[in-house]
Amino acid sequence: MEKIPILRMGDFLLVTIQVDMHDRLAMALQDDLTQKISETSARGVLIDISSLEIVDSFIGRMLGNIAAMSRVLDAQTVVVGMRPAVAITLVELGMSLPGVRTALNVDAGMELLRESLNGHEGIRHGSNF
Amino acid sequence: MQLKFITMEIRFEHDVVLARQRARSVAAFLKFDIQDQTRIATAVSEIARNCFEYAGGGLVEFTYHSGAERIFFVTIRDKGRGIPNVDEILGGKYVSKTGMGVGMIGAKRLMDRFEVQSAAGKGTVVTLGKAIPQRFSKLNDAELNAFMGTIERRRSENPYEELEHQNKELLRTLEELRARQNELAQLNRELDETNRGVVALYAELNDKADFLQRASELKTHFLSNMSHEFRTPLNSVLALSQILLDRMDGDLTSEQEKQVNFIRRSAQDLTDLVNDLLDLAKVEAGKVTIRPAPFSVESLFAALRGMLRPLLSQNSSVSLVFDEPEGIPELFSDEAKVSQILRNFISNALKFTERGEVRVSVRMSHDNTAVFAVADTGIGISEENQERIFEEWTQVEGKLQKMAKGTGLGLPLSRKLAQLLGGDVYVKSEVGIGSTFFVSVPVRFHGEIDAVYVPDVHRELDISKLPVLVVEDNREALFIYEKYLKETEFQVVPARDLKEARRALHEFKPVAIVLDVLLQGEHSWDLLQDLKSDPATKDIPVLVVTVVENQQKALQLGASAFHSKPIDRGWLLQQLQSTLKPTSEHVLIIDDDEVSRYLLKGALANSRYSLLEASGGKEGIRMAKEMMPSVIMLDISMPDLSGFEVLDILKKDPQTRQIPVIIHTSQDLREEEREQLKAAADIVLKGTGSREMAEVRIAEALSRAGLPFGVHVADEVRA
Repeated sequence: MEKIPILRMGDFLLVTIQVDMHDRLAMALQDDLTQKISETSARGVLIDISSLEIVDSFIGRMLGNIAAMSRVLDAQTVVVGMRPAVAITLVELGMSLPGVRTALNVDAGMELLRESLNGHEGIRHGSNF
Repeated sequence: MQLKFITMEIRFEHDVVLARQRARSVAAFLKFDIQDQTRIATAVSEIARNCFEYAGGGLVEFTYHSGAERIFFVTIRDKGRGIPNVDEILGGKYVSKTGMGVGMIGAKRLMDRFEVQSAAGKGTVVTLGKAIPQRFSKLNDAELNAFMGTIERRRSENPYEELEHQNKELLRTLEELRARQNELAQLNRELDETNRGVVALYAELNDKADFLQRASELKTHFLSNMSHEFRTPLNSVLALSQILLDRMDGDLTSEQEKQVNFIRRSAQDLTDLVNDLLDLAKVEAGKVTIRPAPFSVESLFAALRGMLRPLLSQNSSVSLVFDEPEGIPELFSDEAKVSQILRNFISNALKFTERGEVRVSVRMSHDNTAVFAVADTGIGISEENQERIFEEWTQVEGKLQKMAKGTGLGLPLSRKLAQLLGGDVYVKSEVGIGSTFFVSVPVRFHGEIDAVYVPDVHRELDISKLPVLVVEDNREALFIYEKYLKETEFQVVPARDLKEARRALHEFKPVAIVLDVLLQGEHSWDLLQDLKSDPATKDIPVLVVTVVENQQKALQLGASAFHSKPIDRGWLLQQLQSTLKPTSEHVLIIDDDEVSRYLLKGALANSRYSLLEASGGKEGIRMAKEMMPSVIMLDISMPDLSGFEVLDILKKDPQTRQIPVIIHTSQDLREEEREQLKAAADIVLKGTGSREMAEVRIAEALSRAGLPFGVHVADEVRA
């Protein structure tokens, strides 16, 4: 059975979606990812959708779900590399991916994750002292 | 104008992905910009998902429409339950459980045209449309074909799809396989049934074969019995009529003589018929053994000439001519069979020829075959009858045929015999001019030979004298023995080597054996040893006469006497006479047939023996023990005990073991029976000839058993 690979990079998990996912595959990714987050205690998830030509309502909802779930598991989610046409279509479709943070590319996404993580840690340290 | 690009089915989840990919491809082909491509694909994805999700699948059609406006239509239809609340959904009030509740309404927003037809239970048709941009000039066939090709290719580039495709194929193949398997099972069942049928048929065939086998055995049995049952009374009629014709019991009137002659001729005809029938039956049953031996045509012709002369005398205006055979090699075949065929041809020729000649000739043909011809100047055979005469029971109608009656079995029998020898018979004939019958015989018989048949050594035994077997390789010495015994009651039967000696012993029982120890290259001590260890020969006295001084050994091995060469006449005669054991002077006849006993008594009337008669096996055995006869004449088929059983009992009893037994029968003995009997007894067939001939045969048999026929031995010795 095909699977979307999930790479671990330090505290982060990197998911690069390179195929046009059918719905079940998307659901499986959602499950895998939550599983992996709890397994590795990852603090951030980077989802690269630069290869996707289409993001329809189902995939959109899946991305939203992943963001919500990882948040519950104490991890940040950043979706990177969305094509402009896809972004426009999503909006036209009536989906604005609430709660999903986005970045232009992987680098920017990493930066974003680190920043928010440091901020988070700082707050933690702060509370300790 | 409407043009359908593709129609595809949505059956699996993955088809949704495929549908949106195709939508995008077609959109790209129609020169929609990236944004629109994405819009179209996304809208198709939404609607296709609904189709799969709610209706379990449907059809997606991509259509190019050109009219006032050029529009790219995507129609998605399903046969689901229909959408009950289209308006609600399109109004945005409906919240989907799967998507964000934006599927349909979002799709409507993304496309220029959006139409939903849905009715409960009748399925749903959603038509999406978008105006084709001006950039797209017009449909070009070549481009379109190329495009379609890429779509098809792309289809197979997708591994999942490929897998699915293969899966479908696999399923189809499996289905076919299952069908084929069913077919096979069906075939198997049919085969099974056929098999059962075949097995049943086999069983039936086996039964039939068994039945045929039994029938064939029954026939053979019947025939061999018939030979006895028919021949015994026929022989009696022939012999008794001969006695009458010989005036043995007073004179006959001429009228009586004529009548007796008729009786005799009828009996003879019947005997011929029975013999022919039996021969034919034996050939057909494969019971005829071919006994090939070397023989010359000259001697065959000479024998035939002698044998057939009597036939000729009745027919003086016909001459029988034998052409001198020239350039014919010695044949290796069964002389008796060749002779039988030629006899048949010649007697036929004589029958159907009123005047002229019957000419017998032989020539070599190619392929190493001797062709005998019997040509007559008789009535001839018309062409349509030429093949028929070789069929059984066929007789051609005609004046002469009525006069000369035959059995109708002669020619078929001849043909079968010739075929057994590897040849054939055939005829050339012209009506009124004559016929020529041919028989071809291969010079060398090529069939299966069980064992090379060695013809019996013909020993001219003088029936009035006692045979003494002299084993001696020196001619002069033999001559001396001959001279010494010339005027006595003994006769010399010479054997030049051990092989000849053994064969002679197989044939008759000498009163004594004179044995030279040193034969050419071989010692005869072995023979002496064998003689003494064989119960049948151990009572024959052996006189060892040799140049080697070895009396000790000779006597140890059981020799009766020893003499070194040169031999002395007085000693020899003395030894021979002293070895003669006193014999009772009885012949015991064991035969249930009164006529046979009567005739045998006639044959033995001139002998020196008194006769004892037993009408059955049990009585015979009892008498043999009481009277200790010199010899027993034994019939084979008797009601209480068969001759085989009687012989067995006699040979097992030490008291009667030494009595020679002569089997006297008219039964056709099978080869193995003959062998069985030969080991223990001599065989004489009940004859059909005159009283004198019967007497001669009996006398010969007695002589072979070491018994004189006439003169009283005891008296002679005394004198």
